[in-house]
Amino acid sequence: MKPTETSSANYEIRVAGSLPPQWRDWFDGLVINMENGETLLRGPVADQAALFGLLKKIRDVGLPLVSVRQIPFQEKK
Amino acid sequence: MVTTILATKLYIPPPRDKIVLRPHLIERLNEGLSSGRTPGVTLISASAGFGKTTLVSEWVASCGRPVAWLSLDNGDSNLSRFLTCIIAALQTIQPALGENLLAALQAPQPPPVETLLTSLLNEISALPDDLILVLDDYHLLDSKSVDAALTFLVEHQPPQLRLLIASREDPPLPLARLRVRNQLTELRTADLRFTPAEATNFLKRTMGLNLSESDVAGLEKRTEGWIAGLQLAALSMQGQKDTAGFIQSFTGSNRFVLDYLLEEVIQRQPEHIQTFLLRTSILNRLCAPLCDAILDNAAISAQETLENLERANLFIVPLDQERRWYRYHHLFGDLLRQRLGAPAELSEIHLRASRWHEANGDLSEAFHHAISAADFERAARLAEAAWSSAEESFQSAAWLVWVNQLPEAVIRSKPELCFQAGRAYSDAGDPKTSEIHLQNAERALAEEPDQDGFAILPGNIALTRAYNAQVQGNLKDTVKYAELALQLIPEDDIYRRAQAVITLEITHWASGALESSLRAIQVWMADMHKVGNPVFVIASAFAEADLLVVLGRLHEAIRAYQQALQLAAEHGAEAQQITAHHHLGLALICHELGDSEPTAAHLQTAADLGQRTTLVDWLHRWKLAQARFKESAGEWDAALELLDEAKQVYVKTPIPITRPVETLKARIHLKQGRLDKAREWAKGRENSIPDEVSYLAEFDVLTLVRVRLAEGSFAGVNDLLDRLRILAEAQNRMGSVLEILLTEALAHQAQGHAPQAFATLERALILAKPEGYFRIFLDEGEAMRLLISDFRLTIASCAHPLFGYVDKLLSTFPQSAEAIPQSKIANQKSEIFESLSDRELAVLRLVAQGLSNTEISQRLYLALSTVKGHNMRIFDKLQVQNRTEAVVRARELGLL
Repeated sequence: MKPTETSSANYEIRVAGSLPPQWRDWFDGLVINMENGETLLRGPVADQAALFGLLKKIRDVGLPLVSVRQIPFQEKK
Repeated sequence: MVTTILATKLYIPPPRDKIVLRPHLIERLNEGLSSGRTPGVTLISASAGFGKTTLVSEWVASCGRPVAWLSLDNGDSNLSRFLTCIIAALQTIQPALGENLLAALQAPQPPPVETLLTSLLNEISALPDDLILVLDDYHLLDSKSVDAALTFLVEHQPPQLRLLIASREDPPLPLARLRVRNQLTELRTADLRFTPAEATNFLKRTMGLNLSESDVAGLEKRTEGWIAGLQLAALSMQGQKDTAGFIQSFTGSNRFVLDYLLEEVIQRQPEHIQTFLLRTSILNRLCAPLCDAILDNAAISAQETLENLERANLFIVPLDQERRWYRYHHLFGDLLRQRLGAPAELSEIHLRASRWHEANGDLSEAFHHAISAADFERAARLAEAAWSSAEESFQSAAWLVWVNQLPEAVIRSKPELCFQAGRAYSDAGDPKTSEIHLQNAERALAEEPDQDGFAILPGNIALTRAYNAQVQGNLKDTVKYAELALQLIPEDDIYRRAQAVITLEITHWASGALESSLRAIQVWMADMHKVGNPVFVIASAFAEADLLVVLGRLHEAIRAYQQALQLAAEHGAEAQQITAHHHLGLALICHELGDSEPTAAHLQTAADLGQRTTLVDWLHRWKLAQARFKESAGEWDAALELLDEAKQVYVKTPIPITRPVETLKARIHLKQGRLDKAREWAKGRENSIPDEVSYLAEFDVLTLVRVRLAEGSFAGVNDLLDRLRILAEAQNRMGSVLEILLTEALAHQAQGHAPQAFATLERALILAKPEGYFRIFLDEGEAMRLLISDFRLTIASCAHPLFGYVDKLLSTFPQSAEAIPQSKIANQKSEIFESLSDRELAVLRLVAQGLSNTEISQRLYLALSTVKGHNMRIFDKLQVQNRTEAVVRARELGLL
């Protein structure tokens, strides 16, 4: 399914630094995993506006953004 | 009503105690200032916690220039509010700057943004001293229109203005362009990080810690010079014995700095402080009384706590000099809020905040806290209370956004709220949704046990329905509801009664029932007189007079104007301000009656008053009147130009347009002999004229008829004119009847039906004589002159009652068509004119653009009297009497 402006998709956002799982609420319920000094935030994001809202939050707490990518629904880790 | 700008947004944060001085950064900022006088932008772009605001406040304290500061918040993402805030900030340096713009921004239909900005920039470039405008926290805005406005400002920046923008992200401005042109001074994260030396200074001096060099190095490395991080680390270590242990754990951990440190800092605070922080985190702004209200703990003084937090550098920021209002540093506040989560007391805290804000007059904050507390009854009540000021300041749309956050059931149970929503939708141009809410209001009202409290509601509902009907073009319902409203609304409710009366007046007017319209106005004027409101009486007089003129009662119209002038004279300057219209109206009537001296006198008075008047449609009316005079004088081109100018300055008012500018132009084209242009107009209008004759279409129909006559096509003309006349007679619109009769007479003449022509003319003369109509015949030109001449031959003797009248008319007609000058000016082309000076030419150019003397004086930075002096000299040199003639002649001479 091709995600559009309004449909949701799964995203993986990678930031530098280790963030404990308690921050989940702050990041709209995304699952948090730490990996080699970086943190992965993964989960469904409602739409583009929500995505940019998340990026803004990441910026606001000063977490250096490393990458953002969409992940297909089937991919699991 | 002016939007209240929080003084706290304009407060310039003073430099803090014991901060680390960063002279190299200050120097960079100063460089930006002294680079000649090229305009420029200083950008400080870095994530939260890098000391941007601290640096800027240190810099402005010593920069030696006046500084205007604006702390932005997300409410400023609205262009109008943004501009209002900018002007308010600039006014802290120059109190009168942008006053006109503020007024323009509050109007229901403000001018286009670029006009406003250009005007503002002009005002700034007139300032003698250089100044700095600081925009702090630009990243909080999220508005394309604001970004566009700022881009415009940046691209047209006057050299005196230095713009400094502090943001957590690069703003969407043309930064690359500015960099290339060397107009951008930038400080970024790399610049703002603490160097190891600065970190040492900070930890030792500012935070009072005694650390070894390697400790400092470790901390600095771990935080990467992030100032907020160092601060949090220092806070965690203050008063602790085992600083070495802390540093070891901290530097050894991988955890995200902020997360680790925040936990530490909060845990180390005494419990009452923790409670304080957590509870007050829901507030946008804090002051001691508000905090006390939320905490409900008499043992702790909120004021003391706030000051302690400030002293301890615990991320609290004072918003004013008096230490009354504070806010949390954005980052800290957000995270505190997140930690708070959703404890049981959260609703209670919000409720207390809501109550406090309500008691202290901030309905907006009170409302939002009530919603957060999920106390919808309370929120609904607050929305009701906030309605009238929202409506008055044209913010009913924003108010609707509030209300739509309430559950429907709550809204429906409140008659007043439903009505208000109905009005808001009406204001927003959605009559259908409005009606739904009005019906809900009636249903809720019916179920109310205490009807008395809602006594004014039925009248208000009727009024809103009248307005909705009017907007949808339903004349019958408009009248029905307006009349119902007048029955229901109490006499002393002037404002609402005025709305009902005006609605009736306009509706009757539009349907041609002018006598009913007149009655409505006269009753209204009597009411206003009774309640002692002379300005309304005087203002209503011009509508009254306009109606009387169409009804053919010229002398009554004159009396109406004169009574109003008399009243105005008794009530001082404010009342006299609006009498420009009256004098203009009198000038037009005197012109019709052929009294040239009073015409000129009233015209002059009108011109003088018109310069200072605040009436929105003044310029339009003035130009239309001037066009009429030109037309009477046979100066066709001048008349056409004036009509075009009138069209450009047209301001929509509720009064229906009975004489569209394009139709007036078509008539002039006919007189000029430009049948081709008149035909063009006719083709465009033909299909949109309804079959049924109506008052509104009358003028267009008469003009169409004239075009047909000029073409020599007579089919259906007589019938059409007949029907028009019958309708006009039925509605007693004798002014209309007269015009129609004259058209009919000319139609008969053109078809060679002499007896009918004479009979019709005779009726017209009989009708016109008692009032003394004059120009209406003269302006018809040669055809009318011939007709009247021929008619005169049929009048047997001087004893005939019309004889004197006819003679007078004939003697004033110019002898033949050629004698009517196409343009007086053409004759004098050969004379030598003293040439205009550069300054005079500059003034004349602005005159040609339609600017008033006051506007010209502002534009050219001259005193008003100087501008008037220039005008006199210009008129003298060009040998003209007034502005319009000056412009025409100057164009002819190729000066413009």
